[in-house]
Amino acid sequence: MTDVLIDHFTYEYPGSTVKVLNDVDVTFKHNHFSLLTGPSGSGKSTLLYFIAGLYPHFIGNDALGGIKFGDTDIKQIPSNEISHSVAMMFQNPNQQFAMDTVIHELTFVLENMLVDPAKIDGIINHALDFCGIKQLRSRVINTLSGGEKQRVALACIVAMDPPVIVLDEPFASIDPDSRLDLIKKLKQLQVEHGKTIILADHDLNDYKGVIDEFYYLDPDTHHISLLDSQSAQHFFDNFKNTQTINKQVAIPTEAAPSIINIKDFKLQPHHSLLLKLGDFKFCKEKTTLITGANGIGKSTLFNALTKLLPYNGEIDFAGKNIQKIRPLPYAKNVTLLFQDAENQFLNITVKEELDLSLKNRTNQAYSIDDVQTMLKELSIDGRDDQVVYSLSEGQKKKLQIIEMLIMNPPVLLMDEPFKGLDYHSLEVVVGFLNRSKQEFHQTQIIISHQLSGLDTLIDYHANFADQNLTYQEVIK
Amino acid sequence: MNPGLKLLLVMAIALEISFTQSLIVNVILIGVSFIYILFNRVTFKALIGLIFWPLFPALGLFVSQWLYGSAGIHFAWILFTRIYAYVFLGATFTLTSSITNLALTLEQDFRLPSKFAYGVLAAFNLMPKINEEVQIIKTSALMRGEALHFWSPKLYFKAILSSIQWSQNLAEAMTSHGFVEDQGRTHYRVIKITRMDWVWFIGLFGIVQVLLFFIRY
Ligand SMILES: Nc1ncnc2c1ncn2[C@@H]1O[C@H](COP(=O)(O)OP(=O)(O)OP(=O)(O)O)[C@@H](O)[C@H]1O
Ligand SMILES: [Mg+2]
Repeated sequence: MTDVLIDHFTYEYPGSTVKVLNDVDVTFKHNHFSLLTGPSGSGKSTLLYFIAGLYPHFIGNDALGGIKFGDTDIKQIPSNEISHSVAMMFQNPNQQFAMDTVIHELTFVLENMLVDPAKIDGIINHALDFCGIKQLRSRVINTLSGGEKQRVALACIVAMDPPVIVLDEPFASIDPDSRLDLIKKLKQLQVEHGKTIILADHDLNDYKGVIDEFYYLDPDTHHISLLDSQSAQHFFDNFKNTQTINKQVAIPTEAAPSIINIKDFKLQPHHSLLLKLGDFKFCKEKTTLITGANGIGKSTLFNALTKLLPYNGEIDFAGKNIQKIRPLPYAKNVTLLFQDAENQFLNITVKEELDLSLKNRTNQAYSIDDVQTMLKELSIDGRDDQVVYSLSEGQKKKLQIIEMLIMNPPVLLMDEPFKGLDYHSLEVVVGFLNRSKQEFHQTQIIISHQLSGLDTLIDYHANFADQNLTYQEVIK
Repeated sequence: MNPGLKLLLVMAIALEISFTQSLIVNVILIGVSFIYILFNRVTFKALIGLIFWPLFPALGLFVSQWLYGSAGIHFAWILFTRIYAYVFLGATFTLTSSITNLALTLEQDFRLPSKFAYGVLAAFNLMPKINEEVQIIKTSALMRGEALHFWSPKLYFKAILSSIQWSQNLAEAMTSHGFVEDQGRTHYRVIKITRMDWVWFIGLFGIVQVLLFFIRY
């Protein structure tokens, strides 16, 4: 029996006075699929790192209380045996591997676990087979897609074969099909192989009927509670409501003033044609939503609009060919909010990051007080000296959005700006964006899979499909 | 030949020719390395690169020594061939050995701590990403209202920040994949230093000594 017992567990990060987890007392049951949710910054990742035995080793200070696997206290397990008890899958698919190829990584894992070399081939074959990635065996990991990397990560766990598997938002950057498939695989590991699964996620899609228990980490009390089926249902229903949108928007008229015009345009970065446009415009001081399937080329289009990629044809900004505008002045006018928040940071602490934006902005639209209010509304105030990399994933996103809003560029391109945000934070951010548009006349172009909650923001909707971008009246 | 021994041999010879002055031995070393590389089926492009890129520093050294040096044209030729000898000797290692094998032999035969061996390997696997990262940093800075050039300290500052971040994530990933410093591991592929390896190593090293001793021109 490997119940995972969290026993009066209290933790605060070094140098912080807030208890991220306060007297948490729960049991994740043996051979159950447990889902843990809670707003961003509530401490989900923190708890999972402790369960996986990565903390306190990688953080420096210890927690009060204990964690047990069945009868064994995690502290009693020698460090070279912990991976026989628990394995972890991370959110970022890019930094989970030490070796170059899939087969080398799997071998590395098994050697670490002191597996008899004669058995290694058999185990690897089985793990690859189970995850449906036999064909990836000799591939270089860096060249795999996010979804493929997460499958390899799962294969490593299958090969390790520990009784407890913890996963921290493992699907945040992969396509819906891979997501569904991996959730099924996890269920299979639970049902057929007796695994105990603990998974943290914001996105509740596909879990209904799959999970056995639903846990909620309350950000105010810093407690975790097991929800009864009624409250769980309530969460699922609420989530469902936040997933559907059925909104009619107008199609821009001939006369609507434009700010970016695209003519005789062809985008074919790797020799295959992604997008072909005869004549297209983005309207001034409006918010345009771009939707389209995974991998269809939405981010690539943004790269062309910001002059990061070559293209054929012409793009004009405010009537001027963007190739004739120097990079820095252009970037100050047409600014991109990256999909990955960490890439946007140039400094170490939260304050330095905000100061950089205040220093380089070209106008004073936002007052210092405004900035403080925004930080407060997204509950990331009072973190001046925190290292940006140590923010939770959702907090990174919030900071990134605020610092780009302060710059207040005439055109702001945003690539999946709502990823990793809980629904409440999303509503707050939408409020900020509306203000930027209405008070400061900003033009916004947004790529987003998340649609609901954006009703009040979106003016136009362009769908990206069949190498074409077309305005549509419905969003759904 | 065992990659660890090969690396040792290449470094030892390179060190030696830095302190000796024999044009003919340099040429022999270049010739032998060249043939060895050819036998190991490298791409034509890599070969051309090997000949082309060292040309600038080699010519530079040659010309400056010839025109301004006091030791005459013979020494200028030595400098010229020395550059090529370094490059070709280096290539016999880099073009024909796998870094993974090197890590394996460093761990298993040279008894280096596994942390070191796999650290080197992991860092090496990250290298291609550094180029990409620099590009991302430049773009990101533009979006934050700053133009960074290759001489801007800020560019390197952020690159270092990112690599610290990477190495931390990597350490966590290795740990979660069961890797523990200074603990035993099994070895799926055992790499041994064979008797043949030693024969080659000592033999080749010996030949170079003899050549250097007798050929002084
Ligand atoms: N190394 C650290 N030093 C100081 N504070 C930290 C550190 N790591 C995390 N925190 C803080 O601890 C809190 C919990 O972070 P954690 O990453 O566990 O949240 P989370 O629930 O996983 O959030 P998200 O859903 O956004 O990923 C956050 O307020 C975060 O800023
Ligand atoms: Mg998290």
